[in-house]
Amino acid sequence: MLNNNLIDKNRTRTYLRRHKIVIASALLLLFSLHLALTDNRGAERGIVVKEVISIAISPIQNAILGTYGAITDVLGNYILLVNLKSNNDSLNETVTQLKAENNTLKEEIGLNSRLKEVLEYKESVPFETIAATILGFNMDRWTRTVTIDKGKSDGIVKDMAVITPLGVIGRVIEAGPHSSMVLLNTDLRSNIEAIVQRTRVKGVIEGNGKDRLRLKYVLQLDDVLLGDHIVTSGFSGLFPKGLVLGEVVKVEKGKDNFFKEIEVLPKVDYSRLEEVLLVKGTGIKAAADETATPASAPTPASVPAQASVPALSPTPTPIID
Amino acid sequence: MRDFLIFIPVTVLYLVLKSTIFISIPIPDLPLIIVLFIAYNRASVEGVVLGFIMGYLEDAFTGGIFGSTSFALMVVFITVYFLSKRVTFSTPFIRAVAAGLLTLLKGLLIYIVLRLTNFDAPFLGSILIAAVVTGAFAPAIILLLGRVSGTADPHTLER
Repeated sequence: MLNNNLIDKNRTRTYLRRHKIVIASALLLLFSLHLALTDNRGAERGIVVKEVISIAISPIQNAILGTYGAITDVLGNYILLVNLKSNNDSLNETVTQLKAENNTLKEEIGLNSRLKEVLEYKESVPFETIAATILGFNMDRWTRTVTIDKGKSDGIVKDMAVITPLGVIGRVIEAGPHSSMVLLNTDLRSNIEAIVQRTRVKGVIEGNGKDRLRLKYVLQLDDVLLGDHIVTSGFSGLFPKGLVLGEVVKVEKGKDNFFKEIEVLPKVDYSRLEEVLLVKGTGIKAAADETATPASAPTPASVPAQASVPALSPTPTPIID
Repeated sequence: MRDFLIFIPVTVLYLVLKSTIFISIPIPDLPLIIVLFIAYNRASVEGVVLGFIMGYLEDAFTGGIFGSTSFALMVVFITVYFLSKRVTFSTPFIRAVAAGLLTLLKGLLIYIVLRLTNFDAPFLGSILIAAVVTGAFAPAIILLLGRVSGTADPHTLER
């Protein structure tokens, strides 16, 4: 009996040892699948990894972007120099210098122009904002996110609305110490309550995982036409009311014969994004603060912005606006 | 341990470059090629864990659904591990075809995860482009990985 037990144990050990790779793979495979299938239930995932990325990787992204810009400038000037050398060496040098200066000035003017635009918009909107610069883009398959150079230390919280003068960009999904990740509207996981500006028809704007948006849950009878502007409804409080989301470019009868299939082109060209604004008073922390201490909530007089920012949902979900 | 010290920094650098310089340029799927290389050349529990970590890193870095890429890479690892008992990835052509097909498999698995999590994802043509690019670069990258890891570990021989 004892011998049989020992033989069984040895067999089990041998079996485990022989198949350890398959067993380890299967366990990690199942664990990964569990993580993926429960990802949208609000549980925090990979906090340590995200903190490390926020602290260690974001400065590298910043440095690479700076170096890349410098190298492309130098290469541009070098190519220019080679072309002009055939005419006149001395003139060439002068022209190159002037071109380099011109290029620098153009960059400065471009930056000033963009910042001026952002600043003017920042001052014109009736809510407080925090300006941030984009460090990196993640346009991988169905994922559409950007990394910005502001984090918790700058007052950024999860679910803060991110906008530009042209309209809504998305919302913060991860706030690290010094950088944050923004889920763009075009990501599949993005849901924003919206209305058609002309007819006030309500719907939900979702990303299509590429570069377009879909306006969902609009009935066949509802009045939506090509060229209609879609704006945020402000109902759930994560986004201020009336911010531009995009323009209707396709309206079709839905397969279910109940809802329309509406495609929306975002007003913002995401590939050209450089500076964004984050709306203060939106996001999970703000919602929690407001629910916990309603008496201390800012008054319209102290913060004019809050006047137009609707009341925040007491139980905001991480997925749906 | 040496594999961790080599391949994790390489993966991080790859993800940084992909998010800054190569935003709209299709580049080969380096984590997948590393998993293919490890699962074929020296499959071990360490290699399995490394594959999982690379997938996890990719998900954390891109803000994707946590676990989706690590799940896909684990399936890729097991597939290559079993295939390596029957197929020899000895010629550049076979390596290119294998890398291309595995990129399609990875894309398909992530797509299935998205559908299972109720995201109405379209199956993208960009996966085909990624498969072609990964397949085209895979033979050269595998050769490079063999040399790099061979330098780090003189006992490792490329099959």
